[in-house]
Amino acid sequence: MIGLSLSRRLQRALLVALLLGLWAPVKVMWEEGISREQNDLRYQGMTITRQLRDQLGQGLTIGVLSGMRNVVADFIYVINVTLAWENQEWFRMESYINLCTTLQPRSIPFWDGGGWQLAWNASVGAMRDVNQPTKLRRLHASRYWINKGLDVYLRGIANNPEHYRLWADTGQLYQQRLSDFPKAAYYYEQASLRPDCPTYYERFPAIMYANAGDEQASYDAWVRLWKRLTPSQRAEPLHQGDRIESNIRRLEKKLSVPPEKRIFPN
Amino acid sequence: MIASLDRIITIGRATLVEAVRQRVLSVLLIFGLILVGASVFVSTVVTPGLDAAGLFDEQIKFVKDFGCGAMGLIGFAIALLSTAQLIPQELHNRTIYSILAKPVRRGEFLLGKFFGVVLLLALCVTLMSLAFAAALYWQEQQGIAFAHGLYDQQMAGHHTPEEAKAIEAQYQKDIQDIVGKVRDPQLIEAILLIFAKLVMTGAIALLISSFATSSIFTIVTTFMVYLIGHMEGVAREMWLSRGADTTVWQSAMVGLLSMIIPDMNSFTIVDEILAGNRVPWEHTFNLLGYAGVYTIVLLAVSEVIFRFREI
Repeated sequence: MIGLSLSRRLQRALLVALLLGLWAPVKVMWEEGISREQNDLRYQGMTITRQLRDQLGQGLTIGVLSGMRNVVADFIYVINVTLAWENQEWFRMESYINLCTTLQPRSIPFWDGGGWQLAWNASVGAMRDVNQPTKLRRLHASRYWINKGLDVYLRGIANNPEHYRLWADTGQLYQQRLSDFPKAAYYYEQASLRPDCPTYYERFPAIMYANAGDEQASYDAWVRLWKRLTPSQRAEPLHQGDRIESNIRRLEKKLSVPPEKRIFPN
Repeated sequence: MIASLDRIITIGRATLVEAVRQRVLSVLLIFGLILVGASVFVSTVVTPGLDAAGLFDEQIKFVKDFGCGAMGLIGFAIALLSTAQLIPQELHNRTIYSILAKPVRRGEFLLGKFFGVVLLLALCVTLMSLAFAAALYWQEQQGIAFAHGLYDQQMAGHHTPEEAKAIEAQYQKDIQDIVGKVRDPQLIEAILLIFAKLVMTGAIALLISSFATSSIFTIVTTFMVYLIGHMEGVAREMWLSRGADTTVWQSAMVGLLSMIIPDMNSFTIVDEILAGNRVPWEHTFNLLGYAGVYTIVLLAVSEVIFRFREI
């Protein structure tokens, strides 16, 4: 009886081992293939490091390990970033923003909102900080947070180069917070070359160069835009072809562009 | 063959009816529906008012994340609880004896039970998807109302005909963008992947319950396997790269884990879809195929273990 029972157990164990043994190499190869595909898709997962685990705490780490990474990141953004912003705890807020962007590097709203929180809210907060004894120190602190916001945008671009929003955000930061119009023009132009970018951004580079006082660069930007648009696009109200044309005509006159080099010789 | 299929379907239907009658699962489902529906309130709390285009993106992200998150979480609880008690309950109520006394093979009994769980999961996911669609529709209407308000505001001033045309065109584009972001066909991929992951979780629970003697053991062990499954990729990487620092024991351990535990982390590609990034259907089918084949293997192993089990 015992012998029979043992043989049944052995039989069962052998069958299970055989099934799993046959499946294991296929499984590993298949998973490797999926992993390769996900890398090719630029899907960047994250690995739990000790630092990340300490930042998350036990509960949220289990959440991340349960495949709820996006919900955990949203939760941190909704609760912790908002609370830190309300309490004007800028360093804490920065650390939570970095945590959210680490958990979801391909989620644009975290980069977009995080950079804005630092470069606008934190920097303006630092400028109004009455605990700082001198204006110079306030300016220094304000500039520190603008640079932190810029850093968030640039890391966001490195992770999502195909998305227009972060390029546009960086352009806006250079324009509004640093008054560096040529750099703003560069980032706006990059944004306008990305898919789904609102059409008004395509006119921003020329306007930024004009703000910087560089009319030649502004003219070049208008011309580049004019050449980029197809005749049918120029006729669409969203692209405002007539406005582009009038600016080119105005600058051709003002810069005395030789007739043979003009876009509109007449 | 057809008679066998009939028996499996009959057991599956009975399992579904039994599960639907259970209060715990019904409460879980209601809780899931409320959670999915509540996602719109979370988004509104975070970003009250829509004063910039970026805020709509944030709101829609929160609705999608919380909606699909709730679907995954509640679905996981339902898959785990319903599967874990399949065999222990039958043994406890002694109903298994009367079923197996009839011309029903053990494998058919097991497959029928699992089929019932799959039907239950399909029902739950469908209901939660409908709630999710309603939440998305509400959010879409908020976005459209905001775009319309902005349009009225802009048109209120004096404009040249060209400017008015540009404002009109921008309004049309904004509406298109809002509808495009909300009615993203890729969400179907996300829901299918969530469902596949739940089915796989159910199959793991069934495998464990085929030799376990209590539901608690099955629940705890399945939960552990599920958690480890999200780190399986790391173990596989370590095993395949076999660095100089790795000892033989470490290598054997991670190798064993890589060969047995399913890679649950691959399914977090759902995050990409929810973030608005494009995931090709080929990749989704690859993952669905993986989940399908893995489930079949788990069912085959469960059948072998259950066939030899002394009842």
